[in-house]
Amino acid sequence: MTNTILIHIDHAEGSLQRLIGLIERRGFHIERMTINDAGAGREVRVSVRPRDASRCADLLGRQIDRLIGARRIAPAAAASSVHVEEAVPCPA
Amino acid sequence: MSAAPMQKPAAQTAPVTGARLVVEALDHFGVEIVFGYPGGAIMPVYDAITGARFKHILVRHEQGAAFAADAYARVTGKPGVCMATSGPGATNLITGIANAMLDSVPLIAITGNVASPLMGTDAFQEIDILGCTLPIVKHSWIVRDPADIPAVFAEAFHVATSGRPGPVLIDLPKDVQVGAVAAPGSPYPLNEPARRVDPAQLRRAESAIGAAQRPLLYIGGGVRIGAATEQVRAFARATGIPAVATLQGLGVLPNDWPGFLGMLGMHGMRAANEAVQQCDLLIVAGARFDDRATGKLAEFAPHARVIHIDVDAAEIGKLRDAHIPIAGDLKTVLTQLNPRRPAIDDWRAQCIEASARHAFRYDAPGEGVYAPALLKELSEKAGDAFVAACDVGQHQMWAAQHCRFAAPEAHLTSGGLGAMGYGLPAGLGAKLARPDAHVVTITGDGSFAMNIQELATLRRYGVALKIVLLDNSTLGLVRQWQELFFDRNFSEIDLSDNPDFAAVAQAFGIEAFRISRREDVSAGIERLLAAPGPCLAHVIIDPMENVWPLVPPGKSNSEMMHGD
Repeated sequence: MTNTILIHIDHAEGSLQRLIGLIERRGFHIERMTINDAGAGREVRVSVRPRDASRCADLLGRQIDRLIGARRIAPAAAASSVHVEEAVPCPA
Repeated sequence: MSAAPMQKPAAQTAPVTGARLVVEALDHFGVEIVFGYPGGAIMPVYDAITGARFKHILVRHEQGAAFAADAYARVTGKPGVCMATSGPGATNLITGIANAMLDSVPLIAITGNVASPLMGTDAFQEIDILGCTLPIVKHSWIVRDPADIPAVFAEAFHVATSGRPGPVLIDLPKDVQVGAVAAPGSPYPLNEPARRVDPAQLRRAESAIGAAQRPLLYIGGGVRIGAATEQVRAFARATGIPAVATLQGLGVLPNDWPGFLGMLGMHGMRAANEAVQQCDLLIVAGARFDDRATGKLAEFAPHARVIHIDVDAAEIGKLRDAHIPIAGDLKTVLTQLNPRRPAIDDWRAQCIEASARHAFRYDAPGEGVYAPALLKELSEKAGDAFVAACDVGQHQMWAAQHCRFAAPEAHLTSGGLGAMGYGLPAGLGAKLARPDAHVVTITGDGSFAMNIQELATLRRYGVALKIVLLDNSTLGLVRQWQELFFDRNFSEIDLSDNPDFAAVAQAFGIEAFRISRREDVSAGIERLLAAPGPCLAHVIIDPMENVWPLVPPGKSNSEMMHGD
């Protein structure tokens, strides 16, 4: 399942590299990415697909939130919560 | 610790260089020690540090600087600082930075770089250290304007120490270090609102704890990082819930705490692993379900609902779903979590009985030195002042299993990265941070050789670190796995041509002696602890001794192997 995440990142050196590295390192393929200037920063719309069924887009979103200078504007659309049971799947 | 916004350097009457601003920033943030090694691209900063308030410790390898700063941070709770030049100096820091990342240690790594016009030209000793370290830092900066130095350092100290701590890197091109600034930039705004703990989740947790029949507290390294030891002890005391700890959570509860079952996981206590497999509620405090702790994840704590408390929301649900996720500062959460005491007398008695039944024995046959017994005696003789800086291998696991730790800050170990070579420089950093403590590096012959050069640093500064070198003339843990899982095909683990380590230490000017018989252990420990300066005990142990018990890799924690 493909998920699309909208992220605002600052212009600091390495910020785009940091974001792309995080997404791939955490087990997602980047299928599409668009970058637009957004005043003081950049708006990145990225569509990602998990490498295997154990990868959770909600969790990826929270890992993106940990990046300094990056902020999710919209969480993963069509979030693919794979851990569905009584438990809370990848809680926000 | 949160860094205060940095003020503009006082009364600057003349332009000041970037290098001077670096020194002023380190002084401003109360840095006491910088571990480093100079080189071409960081020379302007080294030129400026002669007027610094902090002390510089000249190590003999940059990896030693990073590990020493890491241990200093773990012991003090304050950020550790290391510094190196560009190129090989910077890349030599990488293992230490990765170590700090995986164990959430606040580390400030400062690197010089070639001048900005040369960056990207493959200049001499040029490396893209920002790019090299992106996956292993919490954040990083290349400073492009010396006027930005105060703001960058303010943010760096804040990022390294706030929330879930971690390493940061500041790369300083040489022209930025020598550039003059008339008026440094304004302070960086660092007001980060405190995150509110979700009260609904707290009430759900209280309800689950009150109703549980077999609850278990699962203590991780986040307790030390969050300075929440007292809160965890109060929670365990008030609820009576039995507890297990990860490698990094050891010392949060004293070894003799009633209901503390010891370390769980691959080399954990059998009673601890059994309790995890049987519990119906797992209260996870600052742990991240590391594979060395969980074994086969799908079969870990199969009957348990999970309350997961962590300051890092991205850790919750990463590997194990949390029925009740609580993202927040551990100290705050545990202060606000007030469940009624569950009715678990039978469960608690069962856990305590199992712990006694599976307790380690120290009556191994033979006359050779039995390392577990030596380590137990060492920690007991050193008492509450004992701080162990462990290397990686069998001795690391024996230390975790058999030493007595009065606090989590007393056990320094490379848990996430498992970096051989950590022990000696970590002991250096810890002893400089805690000169009053009995800091002992516990190492093996493989690990010790990886940063042996730091003996010279001990000698230079008269650091009274004690070293217990358990020498089995082999890469013991690899040999053990080859014996058990690779049909005894002993491949490239023989170190029988080791040097005489006591003679090597003496050549560095360090007192050293050898222990090779069991009857000499007690006197040897006493001599070691009483030595006024740095001292090494070279201990000869049986090459075929294994670490038991053991959960085979990829297996469930219910499938423990025992050597007897």
